[in-house]
Amino acid sequence: MADAGTHERTARAVTRVTEGPAGRALSGRPARALGRIVALAVILLWSLFPIYWALNTSLSTLSGSDSTPVHYFPSPLTATSYRQALGIGGAGAGISSQLWRSLLNSAIESGAAMVLTVVIAIFAAYAFARLRFRFKRTIFVSVLATLMLPAYATLIPLYRIMASLGLVNTYIAVILVYVSGFLPLAIWILYNYFNTIPPELEEAAAVDGAGPVRALLRVVIPVAAPGIAAAAIITFLLAWAQFLFPLILTTDISTQPVTVIVAALNQQRIVPFTLLMACGVIAAAIPGILALVLNRYIVQGITAGSIK
Amino acid sequence: MNASFRRRMLPYVLISPLVVFIGALSFVPTADTTIEAFFRVMPLDPPTRFIGLGNFRELFTDPVIRESWVNTAVYVAIGVVLSVVFGTAIAVALQRRSRFRGVILAIIVLPWALPAVVEAVIWSWIYNPTFGVMNSALHSVHAIGGYHVWLGLDRWLTILLIEIVQVWQITPLSVLIILAALQSIQPTLYEAARVDGAGPVAMFRRISLPLIRPAIAIATVEALVLSLNIFDQVYILNGIAPLGSSIMLQTYVTTFTDLNFGGGYALSLLVTLATAALSMAALALLYRRVEAA
Repeated sequence: MADAGTHERTARAVTRVTEGPAGRALSGRPARALGRIVALAVILLWSLFPIYWALNTSLSTLSGSDSTPVHYFPSPLTATSYRQALGIGGAGAGISSQLWRSLLNSAIESGAAMVLTVVIAIFAAYAFARLRFRFKRTIFVSVLATLMLPAYATLIPLYRIMASLGLVNTYIAVILVYVSGFLPLAIWILYNYFNTIPPELEEAAAVDGAGPVRALLRVVIPVAAPGIAAAAIITFLLAWAQFLFPLILTTDISTQPVTVIVAALNQQRIVPFTLLMACGVIAAAIPGILALVLNRYIVQGITAGSIK
Repeated sequence: MNASFRRRMLPYVLISPLVVFIGALSFVPTADTTIEAFFRVMPLDPPTRFIGLGNFRELFTDPVIRESWVNTAVYVAIGVVLSVVFGTAIAVALQRRSRFRGVILAIIVLPWALPAVVEAVIWSWIYNPTFGVMNSALHSVHAIGGYHVWLGLDRWLTILLIEIVQVWQITPLSVLIILAALQSIQPTLYEAARVDGAGPVAMFRRISLPLIRPAIAIATVEALVLSLNIFDQVYILNGIAPLGSSIMLQTYVTTFTDLNFGGGYALSLLVTLATAALSMAALALLYRRVEAA
């Protein structure tokens, strides 16, 4: 377990990574500057090309995408696949109703998992970071130990538990499994964040007559908002990306998330790649946009969550 | 209830939802896996009874599962080496401050944030034997004479190409972990080295590398756990074909296709133990080197 000094260093490192000052490490002569630009171009190409390729295909006509050699730009450019995937103008009714419903399912399952995980994690992480109680260390270490467990250690028993409770193919089963899976990471992120907040803040609140609960709600939570945002966005992204657990816990379109539907469309082999790529882009749009807009919190959360 | 009692009970109230969740949905299931691995559990063919190491014996005589252990070892080797090497290289490239670093970092993190299933579908189109961009691009620069069927023919090539899809997704984790460590190095160390006439390679080897070893250890363990449990990419790119199959895929097939739950439990237990043992070993190895350095 990291001591307080490590947490401070972590917090500083995180700030530097996210805000970007002070890393004047390697000197910059022209040849080296050119090398750096080439390196950055390669990095960006590696990160973006597959995403660009999906966009390119999804915006191409069928004959444009099924050509040899390939077209590196959509020619002609068309939104037909998106109209089909989203059912705009009555096109592609079967797939679009499935896709819309699965997006709703993903939103409900990931959203509920995020809210529950973060609320439970805030209370628990606060208790671990600030309060004294019996078996604190044992409980804390056991919870964090499950971070090292592969999620799949629990796959079959969770399925059987849900089956015995009659919860297979319900939102509740999926949400409960997500919450139990993502709680340890959320607690770790929040625990580290709470430890960067000076206890004097709550002590001042206590002098003013506030108990620990009021101190948590009125002082700690507002100050810890960036850490809470990090835990929330990371939980949401992990939940949205889940595939194996919903594959076994959901059996039809009433609860199947969009990952399961995209995999099913892929398996059908009759869905053209233009339409399949459009469905993929739509399924990845929400996490993709969130990742770009809230990048700062993701970087902070991953960095803080990984320093053990 | 008086105030001091309420205050004493407060921590237990705060952690009780956590304890209920983790207890019921992590510890109980893990214990269940450990116990049931030694039982014959066939939902369609009862009864359930104790068979000792029977499930494990069966697993080790099944050639597909034996091969999938070897495959998984190769997935892990490729995944750990590539994601940590790429992660370190990218982190070093980003170490220098720049106006664009925030934007570049946001783009680099993108593959991590997207669902692996969607990414695997995209890569399956890239690898497509007839219309895939990989064939077309390699052919146009004369790297290959004719178009290839990339997946499902050669075992090691199939594994390499599937693992590259996972490396694409998990490398951002290594970048962030290692970059954070690089950023916490005092700039004065590099300045002193520069005064002594050290070049960038020497500075990386003598200053950066020793100080980022703990971060590399963590990145290694993250990559190890993720690649040891590779499922989504294999399922999408390779289906449930035995060639190139991973151990997680075999756990799924054994349990939910063959409906041999006991065998599935035994495989889950073995993967869990392997994950724990390898993680501990990697941490011990890499952390000890730091202390020695």
